[in-house]
Amino acid sequence: MILRIARKELLDLSRDGRFRVLSALVLIVSVVSLAAGWKTYTDLAAQHRTAQQATRDQWLNQPKKNPHSAAHYGVYAFKPASQMAMVDTGIDPYVGVAVWLEAHKQNEMKYRPAQDRTAVQRFGSMNGAEVLQVLVPLFIVLMAFSAFAGEREQGTLRQLLSVGARPHDLALGKALGVASALGAVLLPATALSVVALTLSTSEGLLADDPWRVVTLGTVYLTYFAVVTALALWVSAWASSARLALVVLLTAWFASAIVAPRVVSDLAAWLHPTPSAVEFQKALEADLNNEKDMKERLDRRRDDLLKQYNVASVDALPIAFSGVSLQEGEEHGNEVFDKHFGALFGRYERQNRVFQWSALVAPTLAVRGLSMGFSGTDFGQHRHFVTAAESYRRDIQRTLNGDIAKNQKAGQVYMAGRELWDQVPAFSYEPPTAGWVLGQYAIALAVLGAWLAAAVVLMMRAASTALVD
Amino acid sequence: MLEALALTKRYNDVTALNALTLTVAPGDVFCLLGANGAGKTTTINLFLNFIAPTSGTAKVNGLDVTKEPLETKRYLAYIPETVMLYKNLTGLENLEYFAALAGKPDLSRDALIGYFREVGLAVDAADRRVGTYSKGMRQKVGIAIALAKGAKALLLDEPTSGLDPKASNEFSDLLRRLSGSGVAVLMATHDLFRAKESGTRVGIMKHGTLVAQHTTDEFGHTDLERVYLEHMRD
Amino acid sequence: MLARIIRHEWRTLGADATLWVVGVAFIAAIGYGVWNGARWVGFQQAALASASAEEAERYVKLQTEVDDLQRTGGKVSPFRDPRSPSNAGGRLGPRYASLPPGPLAALAVGQSDLLPYYFKVSTDSRDAVVGATEIENPQRLLVGRFDLAFVLIFFYPILILALCYNMLSAEQEQGTLALTLSQPLSLATLTTGKVLLRATVLVGLVVVCTLAALVIGGVDLAAPGALARLGLWVAAVVAYGAFWFGLAMLVASFGLRSAANATVLASAWLVLVVVLPSVFNLVATSVFPVPSRMELVQAVRAASDDANAAGSKLLATYYEDHPELATGDAAQAMTDFNVVRVAVNDDVERRVRPVIVRYEQQIAGQQRLVDGLRFISPAVLMQSALNDIAGTGYERHQRFLQQVDGYHAAWRQFFTPLIFQKASFTDYRTTPRFAFEEETSGRVAGRVTPAVLGLAIPALALVWFALARLGRFPVVS
Repeated sequence: MILRIARKELLDLSRDGRFRVLSALVLIVSVVSLAAGWKTYTDLAAQHRTAQQATRDQWLNQPKKNPHSAAHYGVYAFKPASQMAMVDTGIDPYVGVAVWLEAHKQNEMKYRPAQDRTAVQRFGSMNGAEVLQVLVPLFIVLMAFSAFAGEREQGTLRQLLSVGARPHDLALGKALGVASALGAVLLPATALSVVALTLSTSEGLLADDPWRVVTLGTVYLTYFAVVTALALWVSAWASSARLALVVLLTAWFASAIVAPRVVSDLAAWLHPTPSAVEFQKALEADLNNEKDMKERLDRRRDDLLKQYNVASVDALPIAFSGVSLQEGEEHGNEVFDKHFGALFGRYERQNRVFQWSALVAPTLAVRGLSMGFSGTDFGQHRHFVTAAESYRRDIQRTLNGDIAKNQKAGQVYMAGRELWDQVPAFSYEPPTAGWVLGQYAIALAVLGAWLAAAVVLMMRAASTALVD
Repeated sequence: MLEALALTKRYNDVTALNALTLTVAPGDVFCLLGANGAGKTTTINLFLNFIAPTSGTAKVNGLDVTKEPLETKRYLAYIPETVMLYKNLTGLENLEYFAALAGKPDLSRDALIGYFREVGLAVDAADRRVGTYSKGMRQKVGIAIALAKGAKALLLDEPTSGLDPKASNEFSDLLRRLSGSGVAVLMATHDLFRAKESGTRVGIMKHGTLVAQHTTDEFGHTDLERVYLEHMRD
Repeated sequence: MLARIIRHEWRTLGADATLWVVGVAFIAAIGYGVWNGARWVGFQQAALASASAEEAERYVKLQTEVDDLQRTGGKVSPFRDPRSPSNAGGRLGPRYASLPPGPLAALAVGQSDLLPYYFKVSTDSRDAVVGATEIENPQRLLVGRFDLAFVLIFFYPILILALCYNMLSAEQEQGTLALTLSQPLSLATLTTGKVLLRATVLVGLVVVCTLAALVIGGVDLAAPGALARLGLWVAAVVAYGAFWFGLAMLVASFGLRSAANATVLASAWLVLVVVLPSVFNLVATSVFPVPSRMELVQAVRAASDDANAAGSKLLATYYEDHPELATGDAAQAMTDFNVVRVAVNDDVERRVRPVIVRYEQQIAGQQRLVDGLRFISPAVLMQSALNDIAGTGYERHQRFLQQVDGYHAAWRQFFTPLIFQKASFTDYRTTPRFAFEEETSGRVAGRVTPAVLGLAIPALALVWFALARLGRFPVVS
């Protein structure tokens, strides 16, 4: 019964001129956005490979110099392009692509791509995510708004009742009809994207990709199901097809266009962030804390003297300068962890406000989940920043340890390639899909709740619509 | 006052009006009889310049309606089958608005009430919203507009359809008074009785052609019906 | 006649309750947008005040330290000596070059949340100076702000289309059009009257509410250039509105039913405001990509490596270029770290310059291309006009960057001779200061005018076509 209804719905739609125009539009836009995303990704991946290799070569080809000079020279770490960014570029344009890993400083990532582009980019880029989050729901609304209301106006709803059609079957059948129409339209782009992802497997994200792709697909399907159910629900209780359309369009506008900005303000109000000047001031105040540093050094000196059982620093078998440099690093690291940790914590709390706000606007849940599984959200950016910082600290530890071991008093100690080789190349392991799942538990729960609520509402409204 | 000279209107292959020639002089009440689709409404729309003629001319007061669209409308008043007014405005406000558009913007409230009385509307209805008016009342407002405008020619489309006998009778009286004061009336109608009662001349239209023209005092009521049916038979 | 029609329209529209609700919502949105913009301006001003307070405090401390050292002749590590010109110009005494928000910055946040609005200028290389950014959650940058520009670009057309989609078709469907048109007035006059009323009310509402919100928000409308920019803003609002009113008129002139009109206009909004700008963006970034910063980083690094390797040789060449700086004991200077560093920095900049110039030219080229194509969407034109009026656009920021470059050069020119002379730097008050030279209203007008014309000319064309088509309007079906 449901399948029969679905088939009729599909037939009806496919003969509708407006549906044809709309589906052609969605089809073209989705394929174009995929192609553009693919091109951008391949360009970025190539640039990243070259840059990462170049910085490694620069490190290894350093002339003989004091390890501390090498520490100041540092290396660059470049953020790798995520394969799934083809679908959703997320915050990538708004975060830096390169970070300088040098001694004594935790630098911020520099060169945000957005800063080099014109103001038009603030309208958003019609990437796969925007097609799926903004255009497709509109498409669903336009297909489904007259499902019940239109039939009521035409009079065919009464006829359906008179032949004994069950409301539940009707609702599910119409939903299935809409879903299959949508599926037909999105199929080409989806197939192409899966092919594209399989082909571009050079970046080491392959191991995880199948799970990310599958989860992302499921998330979007759930979202479409929610929108379909809600559209059918409104169509069932609205007194006219026109009212149903107006209500649904307003809801679409509010959810897709207005809600994100309003919630953004709410998030900033609940968890404000400092200005860069304030942040820098606080950071420097802690870094330049002479007392702390002196205490730390004294303690370390005493520990060492005791450990090696000598009376003065000069008698130590290791160079105290190396130890003192490392203590400086450790002190700095604690300060950086405290301040950057607080700042990033605030960002993450702001982002959680977005997830909770999905209770009001389901689009927000999908936005977060889409960015998460595409690897272009803040959580994963922070993961990279932490990994790069951890690599930096390893470099400092290696270099300072070498100074401690090999620097002799009164000599200028120069190290060479053997030391540079001891620092491994920076290799970054992106987090697993499971990790991302954990980060977005709230959004998933809210999306699931929406699905349940929408289906229940739709079914109930369908039964009362026919009773009318 | 109203003149149609070989007025023709064709839509693709369909001839809605075929070389209509008629004259309505001041004081004349010309009733156009015919079935649905015979061309009665098309004739009226052509006089109003709502559609353009394929050939021929429609003249109001000697002026060609296509060449002088605005000027000719000064002399015309149009009462459609259902007079639709602005629901949220009162009868008086509607009258004032249309009169102002017609070129009489400075009518006083008393003058407007005067027109209301003249067409037989109760004065207390003047300040009620037209959403509450009956069909007959709205029609009277339409005629009040024609009076306020000082129209010299009146175009009526099925004026008595949907009116009860009393309202129909009041309408007849109005028509008589209007034609008495020198207004030329062209009325498209099915109502043979009313045509005989109020009309001075009749024209029978069939498939876009005017097949007969008579004066009403040539017939009695039953004769008119017989002539009409004869022409309609084919 | 027109006045009568306008009065009548006012009554008819005023009776519609939903319009009042929507109107109130729109006013609330305008108020919130302006408030948000004003708050962001306040944040920026507080940050700038904090920066200059920090600088003043630091300077007082440094000057005191210098005075103390002069008096007592105490010892201090050379890396921390405030009397060293190298330290003064480099680590200890940099000054801020700030870009104060423009007089009407509350009208549009534009790019100001993304582009840095102050730099700490020191003798370091230009690249190191210009790399700082403001702190903001990248997700918030992605989403954008609910400012007045957002309300005007997105909501304002919806309101216009909602008011106009059935201005003729409703009368036709309810039957009053025939009666109205049987009076001696042309459809063109009637439609013009209807549009004029809606336009006056809506544009008036926008202007009045915005002015009220600005005044309540404490924006100083008497600031130099504020009134001129306000005038430009009104012109932009009128032109953008005229476009959408013209479009609505044209669609109305085809004589379709209200539902069909609504569909056509809603699709037009979707295409012009949502789809076109973002597809345009997509194409711009993939077909005309900005050159890679990663490549730039590597090129700069390679150049600085080469320069560093050639340390002392550079110093000799530097003296050849700047003989006025050569002092007696040049040999001593060779081994002086700071002096070498100046020469090295200079060489680095010289090698890196062509790379950076090429990079910036490519960016500028892409920007120009993209700018030229903005005429395809009224929403993009409006955004560029609003950004220029509020002073949060690309050009004003470029102007700031150029002035910072000039200041950076002046800063270096001030300190370099002192470093070479190894003089003792004792008066911090003599360090150059930065003051941003605001754009003249004329310049702003010169940039806003093409955008406004890009809106007004199509608007006039739409109105002209509409009036022409009204002649063939099917009064009866």
